[in-house]
Amino acid sequence: MRRIAIQSLLHDRGKFLAALAGVAFAASLLLVQMGLYAGFLSMASGIIERTGGDLWVMPRGIEVIDNSEPMSGAARAAVSSHPCVRRVRAMVYTFVSMRKPRGTPDAVTVVGFEPGGDPIVPSTFHRGLPQDLHAPLRAAVDHLDLHKLQIEGDPIGASLEVAGQTVHIAATTEGMRSFTLVPFLFTEIQNARRLLHLADDRASYWVVDLKDRRCVDDVVRHVRRHADLDAVSTEAFIESTENHWVKGSGAGSALAFTAILGLVVGVVIVGQTLYAVTREHMRELATLKALGASDGEIVGFVAWQASLLAVLGGGIGLAQSLIIQASIAQAGLVVLFTAPVVALGLGAVCFMCFVASLWSVRAVLQLEAAEVFK
Amino acid sequence: MTAEALVRATDVTRSYGVGALAVPVLHGVSLEIRAGELSLLMGPSGSGKTTLLSILAGLLRPTTGAVELCGVPISSLPDSAAARVRRANLGFVFQTYNLFPALTALDNVAEVLTLQGHSLREARAMALRSLAHVGLADRTHHRPGELSGGQKQRVAIARALASDPRLVLGDEITAALDSATGMAVMEILRGLVGPRRGVLIVTHDHRMERFADRIIEMEDGLITADRPGGHA
Ligand SMILES: Nc1ncnc2c1ncn2[C@@H]1O[C@H](COP(=O)(O)OP(=O)(O)OP(=O)(O)O)[C@@H](O)[C@H]1O
Ligand SMILES: [Mg+2]
Repeated sequence: MRRIAIQSLLHDRGKFLAALAGVAFAASLLLVQMGLYAGFLSMASGIIERTGGDLWVMPRGIEVIDNSEPMSGAARAAVSSHPCVRRVRAMVYTFVSMRKPRGTPDAVTVVGFEPGGDPIVPSTFHRGLPQDLHAPLRAAVDHLDLHKLQIEGDPIGASLEVAGQTVHIAATTEGMRSFTLVPFLFTEIQNARRLLHLADDRASYWVVDLKDRRCVDDVVRHVRRHADLDAVSTEAFIESTENHWVKGSGAGSALAFTAILGLVVGVVIVGQTLYAVTREHMRELATLKALGASDGEIVGFVAWQASLLAVLGGGIGLAQSLIIQASIAQAGLVVLFTAPVVALGLGAVCFMCFVASLWSVRAVLQLEAAEVFK
Repeated sequence: MTAEALVRATDVTRSYGVGALAVPVLHGVSLEIRAGELSLLMGPSGSGKTTLLSILAGLLRPTTGAVELCGVPISSLPDSAAARVRRANLGFVFQTYNLFPALTALDNVAEVLTLQGHSLREARAMALRSLAHVGLADRTHHRPGELSGGQKQRVAIARALASDPRLVLGDEITAALDSATGMAVMEILRGLVGPRRGVLIVTHDHRMERFADRIIEMEDGLITADRPGGHA
């Protein structure tokens, strides 16, 4: 039945190509929407992920990295006193107002990190090197934010007025943008403190690396003994930040709506084609039934066609999404094709073809062998 | 004649529709088709020929009465079991050929054989023999669209023949063909008749009588005559 089914589908080139285009369209729409969603998630938590650590220490009540408050150095000492703690890194993460070169007021998020740390926080540089941020009031911004920051021409050496002080751009980063699209301003921790008028021992977060990951819970309990401090594992902090920005905002629903629309369009196009091809072959299928073919074998006529469309259309759709991914990346949007995204997307395409085949399956099951003589 | 009965119908009636709306079409038909015979089933339009043929083939159930196909009481079997009996014993030929347009002549024959459980290689070898038998050895790779009506009907006969059925059934198989082509097709069917095999064809065309051992005439759902044909 496989050969009968597939050859019958391929025989009508026009219908076959239309259906294939339908599946590919639905597949790429679905994959890109899901990839954007995954991209948003990773943008929301990108800084936490890049900074790493086993757990993060913060003032009580903070759930999202963006809503930070400075803590005193006493907190660092409190954390370090636990025997399992290997290293504590200071991190400044603060939203401040600024003035762009042409005088427009705006805001940036100052990300202050400890130099020489591993991993280096702004991990991918477009121009310049981490060392270039060492001099006083030097900073890096993402090269895709330059336009927004009204920096034209060579960005190196350009200046911005941040919290009333002049900051010079010494490097640019790549792929280091936030979900909120408020530009990051990366500085070494001392520069960040100076910009924000913070004392030398203060930080927004203390990022803790442990000697043994298994003591996370114990260190968290240790920190929480201080009434004003909280600690969460890095994974939990990533999750609560992602929940806040992506799941809590309408972004997820909007993307899901488009993806479902793509699926519906796909079901209609594929369903129509399969049904038309089945209808055209009713006589032949009735003949096979008269000759003793079982219902299962007759359903195979539809099933093989639906499977071929799912596999070929899914493959083309995946190739299309990779092209779309590359062109969207130039606009600064991250489309992330992780293994679960691809598996879920292609699974949904298979499900779509399955649903689309149901009309035809019903038609062949209702087919009476006696109809051969009609 | 004492040849084995391939199909035996006993007091078969058939109505279409149910209850007060039921329209009786067959009014009590008893009939035996034997191996070694080519029989024609003739009669005016609407007399119930196609209905009877479908019942004999186990494609349709009689309202009352019984049908035995090659010794199996097919009219009282569930659909799937009846399908297995058809698979093992019957070949069909139709007025409209019913060939898959996308498949070559060879595959139209071979694919049915693969559905019957033969490997593709085996099926193709059998299909080739069958097509050669109907004189189409040089057309095996043509698709139905590239064949004449007579050639298509010969492919359909090759398909009916390929699994070596006991009984070949046909309904108006020459109606769409010109008379010379129709005669050639009947000639081939005549050649299928053998000691183990019978052929039953529904037709309106009295010129076909000379190929027949037996003519069964129907009118208004009853058999009105059962007489020897021109070949007897
Ligand atoms: N599925 C059906 N539902 C209702 N009535 C039917 C059905 N099939 C056939 N009939 C009726 O049964 C009667 C016999 O039909 P049948 O097709 O057996 O005749 P036929 O002898 O083959 O005619 P023809 O020579 O025109 O093919 C006709 O009156 C027809 O209208
Ligand atoms: Mg008829």
